[in-house]
Amino acid sequence: MEWKLRPARDLGLAPADRLRSLMRERGLVGMALNAAWRRLLCTYLLVFHRLEVEGRENLPPPPFVLIANHTSHLDALTLAAALRGEAARQAHALAAGEVFFGTGAGAAFAAYAINALPIWRGRTRRGDLTTLRERLVEDRLVYILFPEGTRSRNGGMGAFQPGLATLVAGTGVPVVPCWLDGAHAAWPPQRRWPRPGKLRLRIGAPLAVSAFAADAAGRQAMTEACRVAVLGLSSAGSRTS
Amino acid sequence: MSVAFAHPVTVWIVSATVAVVAAAAAAIFWLSATGRVRPDLRKELWLRLGSWCVLLPLMLGPVLAGREWTIGAVTILGLLCYREYARATGLFRERLLSAVVVLGIVAVNFAALDHWYGFFVALFPLTVCVLAVASIPLDRPQGYVQRVGLAVFGYVLFGAGLAHLGYMANDANYRPLVLLLLTAVALNDVAAFTCGKLIGGRKLLPATSPNKTLSGALGAVVVTASVVALLGAAMFGNTPMGALHWLVLFGVLVSVAGQSGDLMLSSIKRDIGIKDMGVVLPGHGGILDRFNSLLLVAPAVFHLVHYFVGVGAGQPVRVITGGG
Repeated sequence: MEWKLRPARDLGLAPADRLRSLMRERGLVGMALNAAWRRLLCTYLLVFHRLEVEGRENLPPPPFVLIANHTSHLDALTLAAALRGEAARQAHALAAGEVFFGTGAGAAFAAYAINALPIWRGRTRRGDLTTLRERLVEDRLVYILFPEGTRSRNGGMGAFQPGLATLVAGTGVPVVPCWLDGAHAAWPPQRRWPRPGKLRLRIGAPLAVSAFAADAAGRQAMTEACRVAVLGLSSAGSRTS
Repeated sequence: MSVAFAHPVTVWIVSATVAVVAAAAAAIFWLSATGRVRPDLRKELWLRLGSWCVLLPLMLGPVLAGREWTIGAVTILGLLCYREYARATGLFRERLLSAVVVLGIVAVNFAALDHWYGFFVALFPLTVCVLAVASIPLDRPQGYVQRVGLAVFGYVLFGAGLAHLGYMANDANYRPLVLLLLTAVALNDVAAFTCGKLIGGRKLLPATSPNKTLSGALGAVVVTASVVALLGAAMFGNTPMGALHWLVLFGVLVSVAGQSGDLMLSSIKRDIGIKDMGVVLPGHGGILDRFNSLLLVAPAVFHLVHYFVGVGAGQPVRVITGGG
């Protein structure tokens, strides 16, 4: 029998730095706050947006990466609310640092309620991606991320950034494609607050990304496969198939 | 106010504490003004003093304020210490066991608040039993001994052990004793540091704590035991504990248990491979780095006093649950 004393990854960080750290690990207080937030969120999405989720049975056990089209701040909240059990507890939304972690109060909310990890535009170092990869595999996490990198202004889907493929290449961690309908109408980037409106989330079958080589060509092919899979779940995509 | 300062020892300890802080501030100011310390050391000294200026009112205030405040403060201290311990050892990832330890800490402090000694004592074996079986239904035998061992150790230190400090507040004259323990363990640290620096010599346990010396440890025993025995005479003069040899034992116990708690935390940190348990207190590290000496002193002194004098005798019992 070997004793393995593994301190918290964020041990020794000052409180403000800890909130913004990719190493942040929650304790009982963080778990309780996040669970309370999820309850509130589920109620809100059911009452105001009559959220419907299809394909929940496609979700594998953690770790996995949940990706979707990105048109609204409702996207990450809806994807997080669709998860259940261990996957919900292990879910971390990868969020724009400038938007969600800019102020102390914002960072505290993003960290404790949403359980988000910050990605800084133009400032993300290679080491950050390595940390995210390590944590994904070792801590068996669930990442919620939007490969377009930013919210679509017109509701259509844009090009996928290569970060997703870099994150999962060689890890064997499955990517689960999703399509969310109605979020752009309910809360487009141009609006300050959301309005009631139907939300429909479709969760697709996990993509076996281990089939792709870990080189540049493989990552490009993986990015494209992910984009096709997400688009295939849209109403237009479903009609085509 | 008159009740809080009814005992002369309370007045002496609070006055001495204020005087020491004022003298330390004057000394650091003088050293800074005359340029006798390096800027980095000067900053460190001010940080430490600043931390003490925040800590001391938080430590002494609840004790002076009353029984409920004292037990409440000890509960919070136990929970904060456990949080640092759990994050340092990785036990926090075992959510179920961590929750049981937290409930155990709250329960044992509730027993102290209720002044229900039977429940207070029973909670130790009961909580250990719950910790032993709680994670079995998870059907994950890998790491069972480690997680249960860490959880039991955590509960023993920050629940069952530390709660003795709060339980003392059930005694009508608890203030001088609790204040004495809080300040004596700090004096013990200072005495060990000062004697070690002045005398030097052989290292105490170099692999565990490379800066501690044998002369520092012995010097701390002499200084702390003398002060504690002297103040103890004013507190327990008319009781069976007032005999000189028992007062000396009382003083030695505070010093040895205090240093043992310090070395215990050093052992934990060395084993894990970390320097400090946290960063909450500038100049000190974590809360545990500051309060480690109290962990063993509280139960040791409680049972010594309980044996000779009794704790809480004549006070109402089971004040919340009734049935007393």
